[in-house]
Amino acid sequence: MGKKERRVPEAEELNITSMMDMMTIILVFLLKSFSATEVTVTPSSNLKLPMSVADKQPSVALNVVVAKDAIIVDNKRILNLEAYDDPSYPGQKMYRIPQAERPGGGFDVPSLGVAFQDVVSQFDKIGALAKKAGRDDIGGFDGKILFQIDKDIPFTVVRDVMYNAGQAKFSNFEFVVIKTGE
Amino acid sequence: MSKREMPEPEPLNLVPIMNLVTILIPVLLMAIKSLELAVIDTSLPAISPSVAAPPDNIPDKPPLQLKMAVTNQGIRILGANEYLYPGQAKTDDADEEKGKPDVPCKSNARCKGVDDYNWSDLSQKLGQIKKAAQDDDRDSDSVVLISDNNIKYEILVKVMDTSRRSDDGTKLFPSVSIAGGTNQ
Repeated sequence: MGKKERRVPEAEELNITSMMDMMTIILVFLLKSFSATEVTVTPSSNLKLPMSVADKQPSVALNVVVAKDAIIVDNKRILNLEAYDDPSYPGQKMYRIPQAERPGGGFDVPSLGVAFQDVVSQFDKIGALAKKAGRDDIGGFDGKILFQIDKDIPFTVVRDVMYNAGQAKFSNFEFVVIKTGE
Repeated sequence: MSKREMPEPEPLNLVPIMNLVTILIPVLLMAIKSLELAVIDTSLPAISPSVAAPPDNIPDKPPLQLKMAVTNQGIRILGANEYLYPGQAKTDDADEEKGKPDVPCKSNARCKGVDDYNWSDLSQKLGQIKKAAQDDDRDSDSVVLISDNNIKYEILVKVMDTSRRSDDGTKLFPSVSIAGGTNQ
């Protein structure tokens, strides 16, 4: 029996120096690509942003998302878009604001108008509160909108959204795009 | 000669650092941006503030009023005929409306998509207008974008990109406004 007992070699301590090397390099790489952008885009199959060579950094503002299926103002779904077959390009889909959403027949879309007005009144409320507290530097209405628009949305929808925003005194429009490396 | 024996140096304990790094990596991985966002500035022509020039400051020549009409046949450049086609009689606006686009699609018919528009030709023509306008003292940074109803947003963004700067990086017309168009 004693003969069979083999001496177990003492376990060597794990050498983690090489792993540390690797981790340090990964850490530096990740720190380099770390972003603190406050603009968040919720990716979905219905929202594909166009590519652009623009290089202006996005800043915080009211988010308006025009996806293929809906218009979302300040994270609230305001109305659904309807898809139809594009008559000039068979097989492709076009998107529009349903006729029922614009009883006047013009550019006016009441549900959108109300949504924008709500945002403006919220801004005003915060502004008034801040003024009461003696802080003039916060809460003011700056009329700025960040548009996240799907690349296949036709100009009519873009124009109607911009028009209704303009009616609610928004005047500074920025379009969010994906930056292409150039 | 008595020699004191030095204690053998202990190997550095890297485990706590490893713990830290292992936690930091997932945190940073979550904050990593796989795509970089940017924004394009525009304004509505009707809403953008207009500042009246003082009377003694009025330039001799009116600044260039460049417009680009995007259709599904191509892109029409309005308001700069004398620079685009020097020496030729200036066509009036009525003809322009019906006429062929200045930058037709590559397939010479209805544009099939964003790549079918002739972007390099547009860029070159805008460069030509910019240079001629500068020589003529009518330089301007602004351009108004007029679009057909069913033009896709992607194409508008590309037009804005092209009008902002040329391929070699020179500034063209960076201040883009979008005109309302008609309701159908």
